[in-house]
Amino acid sequence: MNRALELAERAVRAADGDEADASVHVERSGFARFADSAVHQPTLITDESVTVRVVRDGRVGCATTNRTDDDGLAAAAARAGEAADSSPVDPGFPGLQEPAPPPDAEGFDEPTAALTPEEQAESAATAIAAAPELGLYGYYTSAVTELAVASTTGHAVAQAITDASVLALAASDEASGYAEATSWRAGDLDPAAVAREAAEKAARTQRADTVEASTYRAVLEPYAISELLFYFGFTSLNALALLEGRSYLSGRLGERLFHPDFTLWDDGLDPRGYPKAFDLEGVPKQRVTIVEEGVARDVVWDRRTAKQADDGHVSTGHGLSAPAQGFGPIPFNLAMAGGDAASVDELAERVGDGIYVTRLHYLGVVDPREGIITGMTRDGTFLVQGGKVTKPLVNLRFTTSFPALAAGLLGLTKEVTLVNRSDFYDERYPYGTLVPAVATEAFTIVGTGSGPGL
Amino acid sequence: MYARPVERLADHAIDAAIAAGAGYADARVVQRRAQHVSTKNGEVDTVSDAETQGVGVRVLVDGAWGFAGDPRMSEEGARDAALRAVAFARASALRARRRVELAPLPAASGGFSAPLERDPVDVPLEEKIALCLKAEEGMRRPEVTITEAMVRAMREHRVFRSSEGARIAQRFVECGGGIDALAVSDEGRVQNRSYPSAHGGSSGQAGWEYVLGLGLDREAPRVGEEAAALLTADLCPAGVTTIVVDAEQMLLQVHESVGHPTELDRVYGTEAAYAGTSFLKPNDVGSLRYGSEHMNITADPTTPVGLGTFGWDDEGAPARRQPVVEGGVLTGYLASRETSALIGRELGGSMRADNWSRMPLVRMTNLHLEPGAGTLEDLLADVDDGLYLCTNKSWSIDDKRLNFQFGTQVAWEIKKGKLGRMLRDPTYTGVTPEFWGRLDAVAGTEAWELHGLTNCGKGQPGQHAHVSHGTAPARFRDVQVGVRQ
Repeated sequence: MNRALELAERAVRAADGDEADASVHVERSGFARFADSAVHQPTLITDESVTVRVVRDGRVGCATTNRTDDDGLAAAAARAGEAADSSPVDPGFPGLQEPAPPPDAEGFDEPTAALTPEEQAESAATAIAAAPELGLYGYYTSAVTELAVASTTGHAVAQAITDASVLALAASDEASGYAEATSWRAGDLDPAAVAREAAEKAARTQRADTVEASTYRAVLEPYAISELLFYFGFTSLNALALLEGRSYLSGRLGERLFHPDFTLWDDGLDPRGYPKAFDLEGVPKQRVTIVEEGVARDVVWDRRTAKQADDGHVSTGHGLSAPAQGFGPIPFNLAMAGGDAASVDELAERVGDGIYVTRLHYLGVVDPREGIITGMTRDGTFLVQGGKVTKPLVNLRFTTSFPALAAGLLGLTKEVTLVNRSDFYDERYPYGTLVPAVATEAFTIVGTGSGPGL
Repeated sequence: MYARPVERLADHAIDAAIAAGAGYADARVVQRRAQHVSTKNGEVDTVSDAETQGVGVRVLVDGAWGFAGDPRMSEEGARDAALRAVAFARASALRARRRVELAPLPAASGGFSAPLERDPVDVPLEEKIALCLKAEEGMRRPEVTITEAMVRAMREHRVFRSSEGARIAQRFVECGGGIDALAVSDEGRVQNRSYPSAHGGSSGQAGWEYVLGLGLDREAPRVGEEAAALLTADLCPAGVTTIVVDAEQMLLQVHESVGHPTELDRVYGTEAAYAGTSFLKPNDVGSLRYGSEHMNITADPTTPVGLGTFGWDDEGAPARRQPVVEGGVLTGYLASRETSALIGRELGGSMRADNWSRMPLVRMTNLHLEPGAGTLEDLLADVDDGLYLCTNKSWSIDDKRLNFQFGTQVAWEIKKGKLGRMLRDPTYTGVTPEFWGRLDAVAGTEAWELHGLTNCGKGQPGQHAHVSHGTAPARFRDVQVGVRQ
């Protein structure tokens, strides 16, 4: 039996209440982090985390533990019961998930799960060796994660997933370039190719120029559009934000808000992403059409927001585990439709004159209701002149409207790329976006920063 | 002395690592329990109670680091972590470009626990829920559609042993709380106000008396009123003007534009691919002009109630107050034993790990803007035309910690030394040393406040640090404000 499911079922058995469920994370990961072309923070983590939720007379409490012997699980179940007893009745509690068979999902790769620390370090070394002319900074990581949810309703789901990523910043004092790759199959990754892409990009960034603050036409590589999309998704494509009026889509569903080529969905089952069969409440994953040819259609839902809406919505399988549900449902598997451009060079042709952005840094949502996001470009910002990517630019501060960017599309590459969005805080839970590179007529620069490089 | 079981686990891990070939090893055994209670619109939103425990083993093999964490509190778990750390270090050492050297450090022995009156973890959940619900009540207004209140409590025991003989046991107890009001107009305009800080309130290393001292219910009516008033406030205009920044926003200003760039690992590039580097260079100490003569920054892991207060850091270096900026000149860095050896100065004392499963990194402890003189009113009095900016709303800063843009929840006009009308959606931007160069006054001790935040992110895999900042309102001249797309 899946270890996570065994723990979940033991935790449920330990609980004393009208109803109970348990969600479990089991992680075994290795992280070969490197800097200045040497592995310097190699980290191996094994952990098991069990969250028990107990319902007593309509009161709900939860507790989490990584003590997974019988005493530890019993103690967690008792603390969850005490939390329930201490709470008033929760009128928004939607009840526990009834038995529902999870859809078939890929996402587990035995060779990835079997990678040893020595092999993880070796992959990092392969990346480093491929970029000898510059210092290489980044990581190679892989993990196997088991997820499970079990409930007194008889619901029981489990899945083992794998993930692997390589990230490379090739840099000197005056130049820097960036690349990354990720997959649930480590065999899909070519650490040397990622390092070379970063080094080749870095070689073009010396003697960077500046530009005036203005709204520019721009090409955004998948790394950049992925991060903007995820921040927009976290604050606006979330049913709780929609219901509370904080989302850009609040009151705007059904309207044509974006360019007709902008189609966006969330699909946790897509094998090109990080496939998962169910969310952290155990609800089967559903594909959700969010924007269809520029028209806003829906957001993602969990069980609590579906009940709150009381308009026929059901959970789409985007719930977090019980202690984190205050954030609302999260679109962990966003995907944008590609277009007809063969390459980023073709996107530059469509831009004509503007800027080219490889990667963003430290985003902040200035106004979630209007979808305005600020941040910096870095590690590969260039001028586009006469349809060609030309001279390098310093890092630029943007404060831009994501809806305006998506309304002003000039083109999308045919190819879409999975971009990892996890920074690996807390428990391992791989997620990312499937995105093309995009060209837009509206990317607003409000200032300049330092040059490329360290 | 007879070692307790937890200490024996750490010793066992170190013995296993050294036997496997490590030249240096340390082990941390951490047992943590954390509670979070939040209410929203008069109902309980979250009641959670989490515990985690495990052993983290860090080793040097042939001059290369390795780290492994294991949740099993057993000799088998400790030994496995040690052997895995050694294996990972050995694999990493094969292509190391330099040997890691550690600055000398006398082996410490002792214990630490901050004083407290009432352990916040032991406060009944009913009491925590009642406090939140009461605080929420005061924020309610017709325009305020969402009211939220939260409290947190944490208790942690941390044992540290090293192959050099360090034997340290520390207990950390934290708690905190905060309230937020979100107002939405009929036209869909959204505004919010928070107290005592945005993004999770404020925490301290203290007993439950800290939470009671925050006065959440006392401040709730003001928070609700201001959130409602922001709906009809005018947009903050754009321009270059004098700003007075409140103590809460100043903590973020210090954190982002002084704390992170003075972390010596960033200066040496080890965070380059993620959090970024620093505009500072190792030899800038003693010469770099960081700001005006009014700028004095101190790292102080001895500050009472500070979240970064400890007896020893996570590699056994003792807590020590150190100046970082004096009279506007850079005079120190936040450092580890490794980076202290690189720079050739005795620094250290800033290595901290988020839990047992993460490797220690150079982190802020308690980083303060030292007080100046006078009151907030004194700062305002010398402003003919400007803005008073309060409570962080958004933040972003570049990878070298130079170009920043911050938004606050609210601003008030300052006209001829007095506060005027309320303004919504204020932002300001600048470049770190230029901005700090425009500092012309910091309020005095009576206006100095200690805030604690629990969401400082760094490292891969990611780590959260709990840090505190003591700040007072400060005045800056000729600052660009009102930046929107």
